Amino acid sequence: MTSAFFGLQTSLRGLLTQQQALDVTGHNIANANTQGYSRQEAVLEPTRPYIIPANSVNTGAGAQLGSGVDVAAIRRVRDQFLDLQYRAQQMSLGDATARTGSLDNIEGAFAEPSDDGLAAQLSRFWDAWSDVANAPENVGARSALVTTAQTLTTSFRTISDQLTTVAQQAQDEFDAITRAGGQVENIASELAGLNRAIGDAVFRGQQPNDLMDRRDQLVDQLSQLAQVSVTDTGDARWRIDFGGVTLIDPSTPAGYTWPQTLGATPGGKLGALQDLASATGPALTYRTQLDAIAADLVASVNALHTSTPFFDPAGTTAATIAVVATSATVQTGSGRASGENDVAQAITRLRGGSTDQLYQALVARIGTESQASVRAQSTAQSLVDAIDDRRQSVAGVSLDEEMTNLIRFQRGYQASARTMTTLDEMLDTLVNRTGRVGL
Amino acid sequence: MSMRITTLMSTRATLRDLNDGFARLNRLQGQLSSGKQISRPSDDPYGTSRALALRGELGGLDQFQRNVDDGTGWLNTCDTALGQMSDVMGRVRELLVQGGNDTAGPAERSAMADEIDQLAESLKQEADTQYGGRFVFSGTATDTAPYALGGADRYQGDAGTITRAIGPGVEIPINTDIRALLGDGQGASDDKLLNTLRDISDHLRGSTPADADALRTTDLQRLDANVDVLNGIRADVGARTNRLAVAGSRLSGLALNSTRLLSDVEDADMAQTITQYTTQQAAYSAALKAGANIVQSSLLDFLH
Repeated sequence: MTSAFFGLQTSLRGLLTQQQALDVTGHNIANANTQGYSRQEAVLEPTRPYIIPANSVNTGAGAQLGSGVDVAAIRRVRDQFLDLQYRAQQMSLGDATARTGSLDNIEGAFAEPSDDGLAAQLSRFWDAWSDVANAPENVGARSALVTTAQTLTTSFRTISDQLTTVAQQAQDEFDAITRAGGQVENIASELAGLNRAIGDAVFRGQQPNDLMDRRDQLVDQLSQLAQVSVTDTGDARWRIDFGGVTLIDPSTPAGYTWPQTLGATPGGKLGALQDLASATGPALTYRTQLDAIAADLVASVNALHTSTPFFDPAGTTAATIAVVATSATVQTGSGRASGENDVAQAITRLRGGSTDQLYQALVARIGTESQASVRAQSTAQSLVDAIDDRRQSVAGVSLDEEMTNLIRFQRGYQASARTMTTLDEMLDTLVNRTGRVGL
Repeated sequence: MSMRITTLMSTRATLRDLNDGFARLNRLQGQLSSGKQISRPSDDPYGTSRALALRGELGGLDQFQRNVDDGTGWLNTCDTALGQMSDVMGRVRELLVQGGNDTAGPAERSAMADEIDQLAESLKQEADTQYGGRFVFSGTATDTAPYALGGADRYQGDAGTITRAIGPGVEIPINTDIRALLGDGQGASDDKLLNTLRDISDHLRGSTPADADALRTTDLQRLDANVDVLNGIRADVGARTNRLAVAGSRLSGLALNSTRLLSDVEDADMAQTITQYTTQQAAYSAALKAGANIVQSSLLDFLH
């Protein structure tokens, strides 16, 4: 037989549990707009029943009497599988974003199509030769040609410099992220600390939900930088591989190792930056092609301008192309007569030739690759958004839901209190009004 | 169970849609204000390379047009000079016919001879015509006068050809070989105009019957032969002027066509862009309004 006060205890448990559930709801509402927060849920569980031993009065059998409710755990609602997908897409997005930014700068350097781009400058260069062909005796036409040619070579050099800068910027950004004390190390040291705290809490039997959220959020950040893979070491601590090397290892004293040299294909933003800065990256590849165009221009003009070189024969790259002819040495004809214009005429026939065509092909290639990277970025962005939506659908806080819970637990609390009042009245009857017959 | 929609999800989706809408609006605005649908190669890589090729082509056509204009100016200068020479030769012929008459006395003949010498000099002066500071009849030796006024009748230019490019791979010579008409004077005895004129002058001054005979027969024939040469040269210059005029009008036709093609490739279609812009603007305002409503309301608004 249970004690007369047994019910009071059951109601008390009800009150305390509903209150805790309300606290969890309050925590969720408070974090409704917190990035990386996963909603929490109080897992309610009936407490161990009171066992009424055998040989009860009527049946002789025993029974189990429910003793109320308790919060078994406060769990984090989250789908780790979606995290995996999210991180894989974050990596593609990091890669595509870095590439798009870089190619955007490259496109800016070429400034095509416009009246100031290299194509327009080349056209003006051929125009200047035509003017010389029309007036070979005219010093003014020849000095205008030399000036136009110098402007053209300056443009070649400017674009070449800008391409070098784009590659250098990628390298600088890579260095800034990966240097000691940089973004990667900051994240890594925080992760190592979280790993320890989470391990300790789990060892004590607690579930450190908010620490785990923070850890997930940091891994999300890492996943944009390079390929990340997470292994649970069995005690809720994580070993994290980053860009082909082990970044976080809970078994080491520091918990993380950085700086390290990343693998050959780290992926993500760092992978893209590594590629953009390399000699085979877009910026330097385009620079090499621009060099070929400069060399083609130098060779084709100098081949016709036979008396003295028009362009410096040694300057066969976009960075070194230079005009050596002066208005006095510009050659207009093959003979000595002042009115001869066969050489100038032959050079004007280069208009629309290999130099122009190579340049147009280069601009088209840059456009195509930039367009592809813009598309890749937009695809990666929509995938990230879609997966993040699904993640949010599982883990995000819905205020409507929390308000419903608020009402639910408030009513539960009220009901438990009512039960307690009822028991109290019952005890009042027993204690204060029993045995007072005739008094 | 349907997908659970959370507060952060709906605000983020709203923000994302607003951003996308604004980006589209911004792009269309850029197209409207610049009038171009291609502002960087990645907008349309193929269109960009077409635009570059067409711009190059247009630049070339403009230059050819300038070359045609320059060549036409040059040929017109030649034609004017040749016209003057033609007039001079008409006067020479008048004098020759007068001088061949036996009625003219020695004094008159001598005066005629003087005029013939003057006319020879004026022919040389016409041959020394310049265009933009260049002697048009000197071949490629454009800084040298073809004939020295008051000096020997020898041609001082060269036989070089000056050309103007009037199309891709099309070059047209614009100078005229004046030596074929004027020749190198008596010293060369080439029966060309200067040689003929000097001979006529000598024959007018001479008093022998043979001189008078020559004036009436061989000199007249030689002069007429030279008139034919001059007419041939003028016809040739005229033909080349015509060719330049035809080339010029063809070039402006081509330029018009290329400009139209370039505009098709590069320029924004205003009617279409404005329509799209208006549509986008409406969509964006609607998204803003909807966003304002979605973000605000929750169950919280209805509980008390």
